Order: sequence, then C-alpha cells, then structure tokens
Amino acid sequence: MENANVPILQVERITRYFGGLAAVKDVSFEVRKGQIFGFIGPNGAGKTTLFSMIAGALKPSSGRIRSWGRDITGVRPFKLIKLGIARTHQVVRPFREMTVLENVQVAAHFGKNAITSTAAARERAVKVLRSAGIDQLANYPASILSVGHQKRLEIARALATDPDLLLCDEICGGLTHSETLEMLQLLRRIRDHGTTVMYVEHDVKAITSVCDRIMVLNYGRKLAEGTPEHIQNDQAVIEAYLGTRATGKS
Amino acid sequence: MNASSVVTAAQRVAQWRSAALPWISLAALAALPFLLPSPNFVRLLFTTFLWVTASIAWNLLGGFAGQVSFGFVFYGMGAYATALLMNAGVHPIPAFMASAVTAALVSLIVGVPAFRLRGPYFAIATIGISEAVRVVMTNLRFTGGASGYRIVEHRPFRQLEHYYSALLLAAIAFAISALLVHAKFGLGLQAIRQDEDAAADLGVNPYTYKLAVHALAAALTGIAGGVFARYAAFIHPGGVFGFHTSVHILLMPVIGGIGTVWGPVLGGFVFGIVEEEIVASFPQVHLLIYGTLLILIILFEPGGILGGLGKLFRRFRGKR
Repeated sequence: MENANVPILQVERITRYFGGLAAVKDVSFEVRKGQIFGFIGPNGAGKTTLFSMIAGALKPSSGRIRSWGRDITGVRPFKLIKLGIARTHQVVRPFREMTVLENVQVAAHFGKNAITSTAAARERAVKVLRSAGIDQLANYPASILSVGHQKRLEIARALATDPDLLLCDEICGGLTHSETLEMLQLLRRIRDHGTTVMYVEHDVKAITSVCDRIMVLNYGRKLAEGTPEHIQNDQAVIEAYLGTRATGKS
Repeated sequence: MNASSVVTAAQRVAQWRSAALPWISLAALAALPFLLPSPNFVRLLFTTFLWVTASIAWNLLGGFAGQVSFGFVFYGMGAYATALLMNAGVHPIPAFMASAVTAALVSLIVGVPAFRLRGPYFAIATIGISEAVRVVMTNLRFTGGASGYRIVEHRPFRQLEHYYSALLLAAIAFAISALLVHAKFGLGLQAIRQDEDAAADLGVNPYTYKLAVHALAAALTGIAGGVFARYAAFIHPGGVFGFHTSVHILLMPVIGGIGTVWGPVLGGFVFGIVEEEIVASFPQVHLLIYGTLLILIILFEPGGILGGLGKLFRRFRGKR
C-alpha cells in the first residue's frame, strides 16, 4: 500500500457547510510520509471542522479524503484506526475509572494490530507510556493526572494503536511554556520513529517551531501553504494574524 | 529497593487471595448440601444460584458496558425453550444449550435496532420488548397461554442434580465475568461505558461489542431460565416473563455493586436469600420495598454493598 509517490493523506477540495455557512470551503492539501504537517488559523478559521472531517467524526458536504490513494471519506473512526490513522482530542478524554496503563492497553488491544493477548497488550502499553514519559504513573487512576500528563496520556493512547498517521488537535492548549516545549519534543520523536503527524494549533510559535510544512486557514479557505520560513514571511498570513498596518512606516 | 520488594510481596499475597477466594467459595457451596441436608435449604440455594447467574449476566451488559436493560426476557425465553424441548423428549443438557441459543438470538432482535441509537433508547426499548413478549406469551395457544406450561420429565427427581447444575452455571458465569474484566473484551466494554466516542477513536466498534455482550448475557440468563423450568416443572408468563423478574435481575447487581466482579455475586446472594422472605411477609408491597431500596442505593451508595464495604474498610484503616 505504501508508495513514496502517493501521499499518506490527500485532501481534495473539501467543503463543509453548517446551514448556509461554509465552515471549510474548497480546501486541498497533501501530507507526505515522515512530515509533521501543521495547520493554523485564527479562531473560527475552520481548523476543528477540517480536523474532524479527516478524523472521520464529521462528514464533508463535498470533496474527498484519501490515504495512500484509498478513499477514506466518511470512514468511521474505529475503522480508520485499522487503516493506521489515529487522533487525539483537544479536550482530553481519558477513561477515568481505568488506570493509566489500562487506558493505553485498550488502545493496544483495538489498534491497527489488534493485539488479543493481555500480556502482549500490557507490554506494548508500558513501552508506549515510557516513550511518552509517563510510565511512572502507569498504575494510577487516569482521573488524578494533571492536565499536562493527561495530554501525554492522550497521545500515548493514540500511539499505542500503532498509527502511520497521527492527527493531533491542539495538544499544547493549556500547557505551560516548559510543558509545551516537552510536548513539541515528543512530537519530533514520534516523527523520527516513522509516524507522520498532522498537527492543528492556533499557537503560531508552537507550530512554526515543530512543523516541516504548514497550511494557514482563514474564513474556511486555504490562505497559504509552505515551509515555516515561507509562512512567517507571507504577507497575507501576516495580515490575517496581525491586521494591516495603520501607518506605512515600520 | 526494600520497600518495593515489600510491596510486591503484599501484592502477591493479595493476588493469591483473590485467586483462591472463588475456589474456596465454590468448594464450600458444593459441600453445603451435605452439611445442611434440608431440602428447603437446598432449594433456596438452588434458586439463589440462578439469581446470581442472572445478576452476573446483567452486570456484563449493564455494569461493564453501561447498557441498562429493564427487559431481561431471556430468563423466560430460556425457560420456555427448555420446557418445550424437554417435553419433546430432548435431554436437559442440549435443551439448556438450545435455551442459550434462543435467548442470544432474541437479544439480537432487540439489540440490532436499539443499539443503533445513543442514550436511553436501549433502556426504553427493553421495557417495550419485555411487555410485548409477555403479552404474546400470555396469549400463545400451544404453550398454554396465561395458564402456564407443565414440564414432564421421565427421569427420577434428584434435588442434588438440580443443585449442582445451578452451582456449575453460576460458577461458569462468574468465571466468564472474572476472566473478562481485565481481558480485551472486558476492557473494550468498559471503555464504551466510560466514553463511547473515545473508545471508537481507539478502534473499538461500540455497536458490535454491545451486540456481543448482550448476546452473552442473554445466553447465560437463558440457561438459568432453563434450569429453573426443569426444577419448577411448571412455568407461566406472569412469572418468568413478569416485569418484576426483570426488575429483580437489575436490582441484584445494583445492590451488590454495579460494574464489579463480586458485586453482582454478593447482590445475588443477598437478594436470593431474603427475596422469598420479603415476598412472604409483604405480599402486597414487596415491589415498593425494592423500588425504595433502589432509590436509596442510588442516592447514598451507588457502589452498592461492595462500594460501602470498601469505604468502611478505608475509614477503618485510616483511623488506625
């Protein structure tokens, strides 16, 4: 299925209306294997809508989504997992009555490789917890974790499904500066281990520091796409984020 | 280093204890008819085992997967399936198996449409189904309708045979529940209860898992109904299909501790032993008593007996 010329994720002219309003309009882009692909945009730009459509939580009004060339438009989340596409939630959703280990164990059991043996699933869960840096919390109930640790658990769970493509929704929201830096470091490690990452955030600094390629959304449309340097110097992007200058002088 | 090895030793003792408890209980219950050879006592325990089985089965669906059912028609389905087959000359054991299959099939008829909907719709659908089934069975000619159905077994009646079949069934139900809870299937069910969308986002298919556990719970309850029918030799729709039967089955895990392995067992024993006494003492208002009990538990101790004991234990330890 893997072919270097075919993108791991390909979005073609995707559109979603809510009533008469287009939350996302005619957006197309490609994510290549091994990238961290980010998209940013001001509040209301359509980031979450676009993300939800790719994650299978929302059906597009029109347009197609493909993975390795295969049409995955409207495929439900539990099937996407089997195709190697996992997501995290902006608002973390741990299974509160389970331990941290059990949370990740569920993901290992039902992930792409569908591990049946309890021992094997636990082993995989411990390994993933270690790489997410929260293995010392394995036997605590998930409900007592701090926000920073819950975000890590959210990522660990998604990773335990063994995804080829990880969709991350605002994983740095609500984190302190140092926690954010650690989180971005974790994203880089995930990419370096061969998982492609698609990352949505409205914190421009976080996105530009970690992404290989960035797309900017504004009013539901694609405003720009390119490398972080390119985006930071793009006049349309600067205007969307900072507004136009009142005077001609800098 | 030292502290950690102490912890593992204590954990090992706890593990050993939790593994030994079911076996010791089983051995004690198996020996009980010889220690207290009273037919009435043996009969009381026999029905209690069937209640425990139904309680564990309901908890698989309602406790682990969080799908509350008010219509456990499977007890009655199993009872009638066994009754009809035994009267047709089938040996009890294949008749019980047929009860399991019948109940599981009926569970799919309820589950396939109802589990497509989120929220309370499954619970509502189960109430409707249980009433519909009761009405149909009350009017069905070949099972004798409301006047009931008699089972004629051409074998000598041996009470202990019934006792041990019920005990074995309860033990199987317990083993399923205890092995399931930490295994893939059980974790998937609990994930669905705690956050269905998050579970689906990790690869759990909530629909098929709900259907599967519903069928499993139905099969166990169906066998319990069959074992009951064989012992009672007479069944009628107002009994095995009565709404109160479904309420009893729901009440036991709630009393004992919903969503746990031991809770439904405890609840089943407590209920099985006091139920007849309550019905005999308060024939008019016993359902009212159960209703009040249910409300009190939900208000003050949603964890049931097990949750209450746990709290007491922690308080006692904390004081010292």
